[in-house]
Amino acid sequence: MIRIDCPWCGVRDEVEFTYRGDATVVRPGEGASEEAFHDFVYKRANPRGWHVEWWYHGAGCRQFLKVVRHTMTHEVRAVARATEMPEVPAE
Amino acid sequence: MTQPFRTRAGGQIDRTVTLSFRFDGKVYAGHPGDTLASALLANGVRLVGRSFKLHRPRGIYAAGAEEPNALAELRTGARREPNTRMTQIELYAGLEAASQNRWPSLRWDLLSLNGLIAPVLSSGFYYKTFMWPASFWEKVYEPLIRRSSGLGRAAGLADPDRYDTVNAHCDVLVIGAGVAGLAAALVAGATGARVMLCEQDFLLGAGLVGQDDGWREATLAALAAMANVTLLPRTNVFGAYDANVVGAVERVADHLPEPPPHTPRQRYWTIRAGTIVHATGAHERFIAFPDNDRPGVMLAGAAATYVARYGVKPGNRALLFANNDAAYLSLFTLHDAGVVMAGIVDPRAESPAQAAARARGITVWSASQVIGTSGALALTGARIARVGSAGTDTLVAADLLLVSGGINPAVQLASQSRTPLDWSEPLATWVPGVPVLAQFSAGAANGVSGLREAAADGARSGAAASGGDAAIALPEDVPADATVLPLWEVKGRGKAFVDIQDDVTANDIRLAAREGYKHIEHAKRYTTHTMGTDQGKSGGLVGAAVLAEARGETVQNVGMPTFRPFTSPVTWGAIAGANIGKHFAPTRLSPLHDWHVKRAAVFMDAGQWLRPAYYPAPVDSDGWDSVLREARAARRGVAVCDVSTLGKIDVQGRDAARFLDRLYTNTFSNLAIGRARYGLMLREDGIVFDDGTTSRLAQDHFFVTTTTANAGPVMQHMEFYLQTVWPELDVTLASVTDQWAAMSIAGPKSRATISKIVDGLDLSNEAFPFMAVADATVRGCAVRVFRISFSGEMAYEIATPAGHAETVWRAVLEAGEEFGIEPYGVEALGLLRIEKGHVTGAELNGQTTAADVGLEKMFKKRGDFVGRVLAQRPGLTDAARPRLVGLRPVTRGEQMRAGMHLVETGSSHSLGWITAVTRAVELDGWIGLAMLENGASRIGSRMQAASPLHGALVDVEIVSPHFVDPENARVRV
Amino acid sequence: MSVSNHSGSNHSGSDLLAPGAHGAVGGEPVRIALRSCDVVQVLARKGRAGDVAAALLGALGLVLPGPGHAADGRGASALWVQPEGWFVVAPRGADGALASAIKAACGDAASVIDQSHGRAVVSISGTRAAWVLAKSCRVDLHPSAFGPGRVASTQLFHLAATLHQTDAVPSFDLIVFSTFLRSFLESLTHAAEETGYVVA
Repeated sequence: MIRIDCPWCGVRDEVEFTYRGDATVVRPGEGASEEAFHDFVYKRANPRGWHVEWWYHGAGCRQFLKVVRHTMTHEVRAVARATEMPEVPAE
Repeated sequence: MTQPFRTRAGGQIDRTVTLSFRFDGKVYAGHPGDTLASALLANGVRLVGRSFKLHRPRGIYAAGAEEPNALAELRTGARREPNTRMTQIELYAGLEAASQNRWPSLRWDLLSLNGLIAPVLSSGFYYKTFMWPASFWEKVYEPLIRRSSGLGRAAGLADPDRYDTVNAHCDVLVIGAGVAGLAAALVAGATGARVMLCEQDFLLGAGLVGQDDGWREATLAALAAMANVTLLPRTNVFGAYDANVVGAVERVADHLPEPPPHTPRQRYWTIRAGTIVHATGAHERFIAFPDNDRPGVMLAGAAATYVARYGVKPGNRALLFANNDAAYLSLFTLHDAGVVMAGIVDPRAESPAQAAARARGITVWSASQVIGTSGALALTGARIARVGSAGTDTLVAADLLLVSGGINPAVQLASQSRTPLDWSEPLATWVPGVPVLAQFSAGAANGVSGLREAAADGARSGAAASGGDAAIALPEDVPADATVLPLWEVKGRGKAFVDIQDDVTANDIRLAAREGYKHIEHAKRYTTHTMGTDQGKSGGLVGAAVLAEARGETVQNVGMPTFRPFTSPVTWGAIAGANIGKHFAPTRLSPLHDWHVKRAAVFMDAGQWLRPAYYPAPVDSDGWDSVLREARAARRGVAVCDVSTLGKIDVQGRDAARFLDRLYTNTFSNLAIGRARYGLMLREDGIVFDDGTTSRLAQDHFFVTTTTANAGPVMQHMEFYLQTVWPELDVTLASVTDQWAAMSIAGPKSRATISKIVDGLDLSNEAFPFMAVADATVRGCAVRVFRISFSGEMAYEIATPAGHAETVWRAVLEAGEEFGIEPYGVEALGLLRIEKGHVTGAELNGQTTAADVGLEKMFKKRGDFVGRVLAQRPGLTDAARPRLVGLRPVTRGEQMRAGMHLVETGSSHSLGWITAVTRAVELDGWIGLAMLENGASRIGSRMQAASPLHGALVDVEIVSPHFVDPENARVRV
Repeated sequence: MSVSNHSGSNHSGSDLLAPGAHGAVGGEPVRIALRSCDVVQVLARKGRAGDVAAALLGALGLVLPGPGHAADGRGASALWVQPEGWFVVAPRGADGALASAIKAACGDAASVIDQSHGRAVVSISGTRAAWVLAKSCRVDLHPSAFGPGRVASTQLFHLAATLHQTDAVPSFDLIVFSTFLRSFLESLTHAAEETGYVVA
């Protein structure tokens, strides 16, 4: 079980959150190509290491948070609000 | 009821109280402070079980969680619990336990013949022996294996006791209340930190008994006086998870005949710790030698524990086989208690302890080893020989053979926490390396030997873990040297077990290696080595060493199988906790629920909601009569349905309309205030997500409804786009599902009905047309009236704050009485929507596009919305995709089933499936909706609906899905 | 058709709170009560949090609290529940009156949503109250980590709940969705049987 330090609520258990995938992909703007949307929906880097991802604090403040998690160790290094970009360790 | 093996004095037992208990039906006596194992040994019971696979006789081997053999079915009836370790069962008056895996009796076990066919029960026998013929698996092999192997029996009855869960937080968690754990907790507690100390044993500091009782008592008193320290005896930490979260089970009432009222039997703790001190001690490891499993063979430290802690002599005449000096202290404890010394067998040439033993007058065979044992149901002696000599051996008479191959620090929890393991040459074992998380290992768990050194190590760890320091006294001890001469196996004739519980021998490991299962993880699974309830605590490393030799490598290079939870078995009761029955998942009730109950509705689950399926009446002969009666009322008169379960979201803000335009396929910014519009929402991949009506209450205020099932997901979907994609928009979102009760009044008489009770609103068709919305009152209660329809009839929805629901509902029923109003449930609701061809979750199943269900015209001409681009992919716009159609049986009376496949007559190739069926009221017999390839072009043709499962085949006619009022005229009158 | 075998029950769960002592005897029982309250959700419009704060200070004497906290005003408390979003909780008054008053004060600076019928407030009080809650509450309620005036939105008995510690006894107000109230009370009272509980 990972614990996430919600910028609003403090450290909370994983069960309060819902995973919502890669937080680095950006929704294409109006008029973007099918390929751009395809990449937005489906194309993922699947890194071994640090990953910036959305976690939704549904049982708390109902905010989408950017969580920097290590995909091998589950270590959570940083948590940021939706509109901020957390610092991602080099490795 | 004598206890012939009880010492005259000593031990942490209460000799003034005698407890009577039963084992295999026979009555014995013991004392408070005993375990079942110590009490049985006190009574001279040596044979306590039969082995898992080979049914070999087995005795008590250890004194704690590492026990491989002494497993019992504890208690009787519904409280019977299999595979409990006798070494950890706390004795109480009236305890009943039974041995396992023997038939018909423990002494005369017919299945011990398995030993004779042992060659076919070697490694991988499941995979090899029983492969062919496949049909034999279910009928022959599996029942045979299940009968002959395995452990205890589950109760088979509902557990009458309650279990509980609890969440805890602390600054410092100390796992293990041995000397190191006590010292760590004392120091951390003295710094003021919030400390929790978990100990699986019911006795804290048990290892100090008979060593330094004074230090033990003083330390326990000091800890008990600290308000910031929580002591949890009988609490086993079974797993370490990410972020210093651990799971533990407290055996709250297992030591009592039954739990007191309202007290759980066991409590599952989830502990979130700032730092953790692993003071989990060490497990002695054995040496594999031929017939090392005979009752009477015992770990050396365990034998000493029985003497010192329980005042029990585990045998009359003891022989020690050890490769380290520390083990000699165990034998000396027995010597001091008056056990006759048969001697010591030591592979080492000489050592200080050998000299000490000789000084005590104990025979020591140096540079020697045990090459076999004798006896049948109990040990009678051991054969010993000098290391390297062939053929010459001596038989030494003994009924107790103490074994010590060194110690294995209990690194399981540290390793689960990703702490790497380092190889210790002196101890020939794995010790914890530098932790990854904020953790420490202390005492024996850290490879430290001796009480005093372990206490000092614990104190250091307690200081480091709490970030403070405090000076504490240290206990006295006799220094012990745990350095070993590595010895894993003595080869010879006979089975040398490396996993006594799972009947895995050294030869099994070698066979696995020969057959290619050379990796430790593969060898483990192929042989079942370390897969028992003891998880290889004593023999795991021995098996790894045998594998290493077979591979021609060092033990370090072979490594250990990954340690995972659970370090010791945990009951399902504890895992479930209180979350059983109605506490498993919450139930959601409509504000009109009490009325439905009074009206004797038949309920059904709709997600978390409990909804009325239908309302039986005396005139109805079955449920369908009720459903048809209710639906007819809606079609021909008036009927009312509780739709409070629909999701409701309040959307406000300057950009609310713009936001909805981007989420829905259609436009809301041009919706007039006081009007509602049906909306369709896609996922970003172009698949339909949800539908519902949205009303505009003010320029910047919308009221969105969702399907019952998607209320939560739609809210989350909106929050995702608002927070992460368009955070610049001025929009607020609030779920108001619970605030508003809602009821749908449907039927040609709906206007006449509600006109009688709705105040402050002109309901005429001109003033309040289809899709109008306005506030009003009913009997003084605030309501919001919507002219919307799901049934296809003229219909209104009335929403009111939940507390007024029953007042408004009753008003509707009274007003409709003259028109024969009926309440209708979910079944009639479904009937009406199928007749009308409206889609629900059965069709919007996460695979369908808007075009698939005939809603392609709902895409706005221009502008972005979620899902627009990907909905245009060729695969999603292919005209041949399954498309919504209606179905009628050619023979009108025939019944169709949801889930039936649609095939061309005579074909078995599925071209589609039925999503929903119902008996109709506007048509004869059954009708259905289906998703059918090239559906539009097949309307008018005939096919067959097949359910091979039911052996059903129905000729059907493909028709328009809109059985009733396809022009949608009724809703507008 | 598939039909549930659930027997009927009172949706508000009021039958579960029969006055008297329940569960274990002789210990330190907790007190459990249903509080009759108005609950109004106030969500500041973009960039208008300052205006909302001023409006609520004027109308109800509320100094709007930050994350994790509550504040008391004139006859009402404000609980932080989400960024720039609060619950204003007050003893039950005339239907809709509290929401109307707040709406009048805030104007277009906030979305004001009456949740008085959509939320229920359950109070639990007593020296063992935190122990009873810890059976499902994963938030640390120890005095060193929580205390009077603190608020946490979290899960209780599988349900979303907002927990507000109101005094040092400790006492907690638990704000839950009203359609789940019966389920919530079933699990809360079951959890409280170990310590015993008293309903006034």
